[in-house]
Amino acid sequence: MTDRQKFQNTFSHLHAAPDTLTEVLNMTAENNVRHFHRTRRTITAIVAACLILSLGLTAYAVDLGGIQRTLQIWIHGEQTNVTVEFDPAGTYEMQYTDADGNPHERGGGGVAINPDGTERPLTEAELLEEISAPEVTYREDGSVWVYYMDQKVDITDRFEDGVCYVQLSGPDTVLYMTVKYQDGYALSPNKYVSPDEFN
Amino acid sequence: MLQNDEFARAAEKHMDTIYRVAYSWLKNPDDANDVTQDVLIQLYKTNKEFSSDSHLKNWLIRVTVNQCKMVFRSPWSKMEDIDAYAETLGFEREDYRELFEAVMGLEKKYRVPLILYYYEGYSTSEIASILKLPENTISTRLFRARAKLKNTLGEAST
Repeated sequence: MTDRQKFQNTFSHLHAAPDTLTEVLNMTAENNVRHFHRTRRTITAIVAACLILSLGLTAYAVDLGGIQRTLQIWIHGEQTNVTVEFDPAGTYEMQYTDADGNPHERGGGGVAINPDGTERPLTEAELLEEISAPEVTYREDGSVWVYYMDQKVDITDRFEDGVCYVQLSGPDTVLYMTVKYQDGYALSPNKYVSPDEFN
Repeated sequence: MLQNDEFARAAEKHMDTIYRVAYSWLKNPDDANDVTQDVLIQLYKTNKEFSSDSHLKNWLIRVTVNQCKMVFRSPWSKMEDIDAYAETLGFEREDYRELFEAVMGLEKKYRVPLILYYYEGYSTSEIASILKLPENTISTRLFRARAKLKNTLGEAST
């Protein structure tokens, strides 16, 4: 058996979940792709990316009692009130209404790895930090922007050899951000992370 | 934009390819399924004209890679249990499982070129084009990946 055959026999076992296509076809049949409701992801991921396109996060955070909070964040260029409900299991559900009055629901969450390798649910503070993490946006016009809290930085011309270094003001400290063009970023409160150390 | 029946056929044909690339990148089946949905939605919405099925497939893989890159990199990223996921895949031979786990144990920069080269059958120049990297870089990564796999699988069999 060749290497290629063995690879194909091995990786042919990987299939998308059966409901993936069904859900997509349902959405396209209902012409509802603009209101795609993500239900599966267990780590926050794109949720934060979608929500923090133009970000001036945590202008205020008001306790509504228990573990529900209202935040004001930027969503697609609109300052938007969102209600976030945190679960002790390390997840959150977020509801908001867009500029056209359409209701949206998003969710996310995750786990942290303890020093001994065990997992624990993310705390509310960690989830808030995750939601408010900097976002790098690559616009259709080719420009590249970093959004973080009330900061909006055009980093288009700052790349050298595909890497850009940005200093951001965090809530309590300066944050050092290393951005690889189209390939993610690393953030540290201490120093710029070397591009070789991530991705 | 593709007609609904054209879209359904293309989605069904290529969704597993999208998933494989996404899983290879993310090592998280939930995220990979979400990326698969996102990419299919982008296919549905695009006005791009595709000259052939291979053109369409290349575009889908390129969008998949971009989508994977967009996935938020959290300092608390979930540590995936590859063993547990491998259990669900029903490998009929132990060496398939060992290969799967060995590939997934490699760094991302090695995993994706391996999948594109050995599973999807792309050449190094095609992979370079898809991943927007120099062809020499792809060749080097494939070479190193093979060496690492040989080392890992050699150790596993001893």
